[in-house]
Amino acid sequence: MASTSLREKLGSYLVVGPFAIVLAFPFYWMLWTAFKTDGDLYNVENIPFSFTQGSPTSRNFTFLFTDTQYLDWLENTAFVGAIVVVITLVFSLPAGYALARLSGGWGQSVGVGIFLTYLVPPTLLFLPLSRVISELGLQDKLTSLILVYPSFTVPFSTWLLMGFFKTIPRELEDAARVDGASRLTTLLRVVFPISLPGILTVVIFSFSLVVNEFVYSLTFISTSSEKTISTGVFTELIRGDVFFWQGLMAATLIPSIPLALLYNVFLNRFIAGFTGGAFR
Amino acid sequence: MEAATAARPRRRRRAFLEERRFLAPVLIAPACLFIAVLIAGPLLLAVYLSFSDATAGSLTGDWVGFDNYLNAWDNPVFRKALWNTVLFTVASQVIVLIAAGLLAHALIRPFRGKWILRFLILLPWAAPIPLGAVAWLWIYDSLFSVVNWTLVHDILPGGGELLPYKIVNAITPWTIEPFDPPQWLGDPTLALGAVISVHAWRVIPFATVIFLAGLASIPKEVDDAAKVDGATGLKKFWYVTLPLQLPIATVALLFGIVFTAADMTVVYILTRGGPFNSTQMLTTWSYQTGINAGSLGEGAAISLYLLPVLAAVAILMLRFARRSEVS
Amino acid sequence: MTDDRPRVDITKISDELTRRELLRKAATGAIVLVYGSVGARSAVAGVPRFRHKELKETLRILQWSHFVPAFDRWFDNTYVKVWGRKNDTEVIVDHISQAELSARVAAEAAAQSGHDMVATLAPLPQYEDQVINHKEIVETVSKKRGKMKSVAYRSTYNPKTKKYFGFPDNYAPDPINYRTDFWGEVGLKPTTWDNVLKAAPRLRSMGHPIGIGMSNEIDSNMALMSLMMCFGGFIQNQKHKVALNSKGTRRALTFARELFRRGMSNEIFAWTASSNNVGMTSGRLSLAMNAISITRTAEGQNPDLAKKISLLPIPKGPNGRLGLEHVMHTYMVWKFARNKKGATKFLADLELTYIGAFENSRFYNFPSFPTTVTNIDRRLERDPVAIPKGKYKVLKTISDKYTYNVGYPGFTNAAIGEIFDTYLIPQMFAEVARGDKSPADAARDYHRRFETIYAKWRRRGKI
Repeated sequence: MASTSLREKLGSYLVVGPFAIVLAFPFYWMLWTAFKTDGDLYNVENIPFSFTQGSPTSRNFTFLFTDTQYLDWLENTAFVGAIVVVITLVFSLPAGYALARLSGGWGQSVGVGIFLTYLVPPTLLFLPLSRVISELGLQDKLTSLILVYPSFTVPFSTWLLMGFFKTIPRELEDAARVDGASRLTTLLRVVFPISLPGILTVVIFSFSLVVNEFVYSLTFISTSSEKTISTGVFTELIRGDVFFWQGLMAATLIPSIPLALLYNVFLNRFIAGFTGGAFR
Repeated sequence: MEAATAARPRRRRRAFLEERRFLAPVLIAPACLFIAVLIAGPLLLAVYLSFSDATAGSLTGDWVGFDNYLNAWDNPVFRKALWNTVLFTVASQVIVLIAAGLLAHALIRPFRGKWILRFLILLPWAAPIPLGAVAWLWIYDSLFSVVNWTLVHDILPGGGELLPYKIVNAITPWTIEPFDPPQWLGDPTLALGAVISVHAWRVIPFATVIFLAGLASIPKEVDDAAKVDGATGLKKFWYVTLPLQLPIATVALLFGIVFTAADMTVVYILTRGGPFNSTQMLTTWSYQTGINAGSLGEGAAISLYLLPVLAAVAILMLRFARRSEVS
Repeated sequence: MTDDRPRVDITKISDELTRRELLRKAATGAIVLVYGSVGARSAVAGVPRFRHKELKETLRILQWSHFVPAFDRWFDNTYVKVWGRKNDTEVIVDHISQAELSARVAAEAAAQSGHDMVATLAPLPQYEDQVINHKEIVETVSKKRGKMKSVAYRSTYNPKTKKYFGFPDNYAPDPINYRTDFWGEVGLKPTTWDNVLKAAPRLRSMGHPIGIGMSNEIDSNMALMSLMMCFGGFIQNQKHKVALNSKGTRRALTFARELFRRGMSNEIFAWTASSNNVGMTSGRLSLAMNAISITRTAEGQNPDLAKKISLLPIPKGPNGRLGLEHVMHTYMVWKFARNKKGATKFLADLELTYIGAFENSRFYNFPSFPTTVTNIDRRLERDPVAIPKGKYKVLKTISDKYTYNVGYPGFTNAAIGEIFDTYLIPQMFAEVARGDKSPADAARDYHRRFETIYAKWRRRGKI
C-alpha cells in the first residue's frame, strides 16, 4: 500500500476525530455516571465530570454481579447469540449461494422476497409467535429464542450473502470445475473459503441483531435466570418509579466494550479479506 | 461386477446434485421453509387480526372488514405517526449517509491511532439498543441532562469563561435560557431532534462498516487505472468511487431505513411517543393501541400500514442497486 | 474476458485459506463449546422446575419488581416458601419491570399459557374475559375480615357482567410531598389548590418549582385526574356515561394552565415516572404528588433532606378533596391457569395475613381489606426511620377519607382502562398548559374522543 501523504493523514484525523468524539461521548458519560454515588449524582450543584461525596465507587458494578443475575443474563445472551449465528450460517450460506449462482432470473425475485420478510416488525409477530412457542412448550426456555431469532437473521444474512457471492468472479469456480471438481466440491472447497469476509460479516451482523433484540425475549422469557441482558437489566434496575441510573450505565458498559473490541478485531480480518486474498 | 453396479447409483446421485435445477432448490429450501413457518404463519394471523375486533391478547375476534384501517386513518395521532416515521427515517439516514461516507473514506487509509478511533466509532453499534436508549434517556434527562449542563456552564478549565449557550445564542436563531434549559424530551420539536439523533447515532457505525467493505472491495486495478488516467481527489470520487460505491451505499441505506422505520425501542424508551403523542411512530402507536389500550385488531392494522411502504421502498432500492452494479 | 484478468491459482488459495478456515472453525467451535456447556442444559430442559419432587403442586406468579427491593426478598424467599410448605406447593415468583408488563400480559393471553396469576399495578378490565371470576376469593376474605374498601371494590368489579376481574390485594395512598422549609419561607401550606397557586410564583423564583407532571406516565395520570376531581371534573358519571365536558373540567384545565405558567417549568412535559422522585430527592422541587417512594428514597440517600419533606393529603379544591390511589395492585388469575385452586387459596391467605406485606413494603402496600392489618395507626406512628416521627400517620387519613378509584363516581371499566393506559388526560392538560388549545376546546375534543372509546367497549358488552 502506498504511503499516505501528510495531507491525507491530516484529513483523516480531521474527519474521524470529531465523529469518534461525538459517537463515543455517551460512553464517556456512562463511565462517569457508573462510578458515582447517589449523593454525588443526584445533586444539581455538582459538576458532572468530577467526583465528590464518596465517588468514585465500584459498588454499582459489583452490585450487578452480586445482587442480580447479571452474569446469567450475559451468558444467556452470548449463548443464544453464538448458536443463532451458527444456525444462520447453516441456512443462509447455501441459500445465498444458490440464489446468487444457480437460480437464474427467479433467483433475484426469491432473494428480494426473502429480504422482504425481514421487514415485518417483531411487534407485529410477537403475539402470534407467543402462541406458537407455548404450543411447543418452550416458554421460559432459551430454546424459544434460538428457534425464533433466525427468523430475522436468516433473511438478512441470505440477502447479504447473495450480494456477496455475486461479487466473486465466476472464473474461480469455473476453473475448479474445469479441473474436474463437482459442484458440491467447488462449493465447499473453493467458494466458501473465499467468502470468509462475507461469512464474517454475517457473523458480526447476526450476533449484533441478536444482542439488540428485545421484544421476543421479553415475551417468551420471564424466569429471571433465563433472561437476556436487555430484559434482565430492565426488570432489576427499573423498579416502578425508581431508576438505578448508575447501575443501568454500568450494565450498558459491560457488554458494549468487549463487543466493540471484538467487532474491531473482526473488522481488520474482514477488510483484509477484501483487499488482500485472492486478487493478486 | 459389483463395483460397477455400486458406482452407477452414486454417479446418478451426483448427476442429480449437479443439475442446477435441483441443487438450487435443495440449497434454498431449508431457509425458505424456516422463514415460511416462523414469519408467514404469524404474519397471516396478524393480517387476520387486523380485520377483526380482537382485544386484549385474544387471538380471535369478529370480522369488521376494513374498519380498523379506515378508523386508524381518522385519528390525528395516526397521521402524525405516519409522518414521523417518514421524518425520522429520512432525517436520520441522510445524516448516516453523509457521516458513513466521510468516515469510510477516512478510515480506509492507515494512520496512527486508527484502531482506537475505529473502536470508539464502533461503540454505539456494540451497545444493545434498549440499554443504549436508556443511556440517552439519562443524557437528555429533564433535570440532569449533561448536554444542558455543558451548555450553561463554563467549560474552559482554569481562568477565563466559555459558555457554550452564549455561542449558540449568538450564532443560531435559537435562544437558550440558562435557568430554563431546553427540554430535549419534553418539547415536541426538540424531542423529534432527540429521537433522530439517537437513530442516527446507532446506525452510523453499521453503515460505516458497510461502506468500508464496499470501498475495500474496489479492485486495485481500478484504483491504479484511475491514477494513470490522472483522476484524483474529487474527480476520482465522482467518476470512479461513487459509481462503484452506489450498490453498497444502497444496501447500507436500505438497512438503515429498516432499522429506523421498523424500530420501536428508541422512541418507546426515550419518550413513549410523547410529549402528547408528538413523537409517535407507526410501530409505537401500534403498540400503544394494540397492547396498552387492548385494541389488538386496530394495533395490527396500524402496524400493517408500515409493511407495504417498506416493501415498496425495499424493492425500488434493490432494483436500483442491481442496475448500478451491472453497469 | 478470462484472458486479460489475472489467472487465479487455486492451490495457493486453498493452502492459504485452509489455515484461515481452520482458525475460524476452531474459534466458533470454542465459543459454542464454552457457552454450550453452560447454556445447553437449561436451554433444553428449562429452569429445573421439579427440584423439590416432594411438593405436589406448582404455583407460578408474575409481578413487578417492587421499588423496595427488600419486599421482593421477603416475598420471594420467606413468605411464599412458608406458604408453599404449608400447602405442599412449589411457588415460583417471576419479576418484570412495569414497562414490560402489558406486553407480557398480552403475550400470555395470546399464548393461552404462562403463569397462573399476574399482578399488575392497575387493574386491567380489558382482560376480563380471560380471567376467572375472583368473587370466590373476595368472599373468603370478607367472611373473616369484613368488606373490602370501596376504592378496591369499584376498581375491580364490573357491575354489568357482575364479575370481579381481578383481586386487589393492596393499594398505595397518594399524598402530596412538599418541602417544609421552602413553603415555610413563603408562609403558606399546600392545603388548598388556591394556596398552591398563590405560592407557586415565589417558589419558582426561588428555583424550586412545583412538580405536577403532564407527561405520558403514571404519576401524571394520577395527579391530573385527582386535580380534575377536586375541581369537579370527571371522566364518567355514575351511569358510566362520558362526563368530561363540564364546568369542573374546564376550571381544572384553566387552573392547571395558570399553575404551569406561574410555577412550573418545561421539564414536566418530558417526565418519566421517576422524574418527580428525582426532582424532590435532588432538592429541586417544592411539591410533588407521589406515593412514599420519594420519602423512602430520601431517607436512604439523604436523611437531611428527608427531614424537610412532609406529607399531606391532596389539596382542597372547589369540589373538595378527592384523591386517587397511586397504585391499585391487582392479581389476575388466568382462566387457563393450571393451578387455579392454589392461586385462589394463595391470594386469600395473602390478604388474611397482610401484616407481613404491609410492614415489609414499608407501608407502601395498604391492604384492600383494612381489618387484615391491625393497629395501622400505631404501626405507622412507630416507623423507626421517619423524621419527624409519625410522619406517615397521615397515610391512614388519606386512605380512609380521600382515596377514590380511577373512574369515580363510576366503576373502573375497560374504557377507563384504555384512557388511562394511553395517557389521554395528561395529554389534554399538556395541550392546554402549552396554549395549544383552550380549556373549552380541549374538554370538548377529548369528550368526543372518549365517547368513541366508550362506544367501542359498550359494543363489546363490557359497560
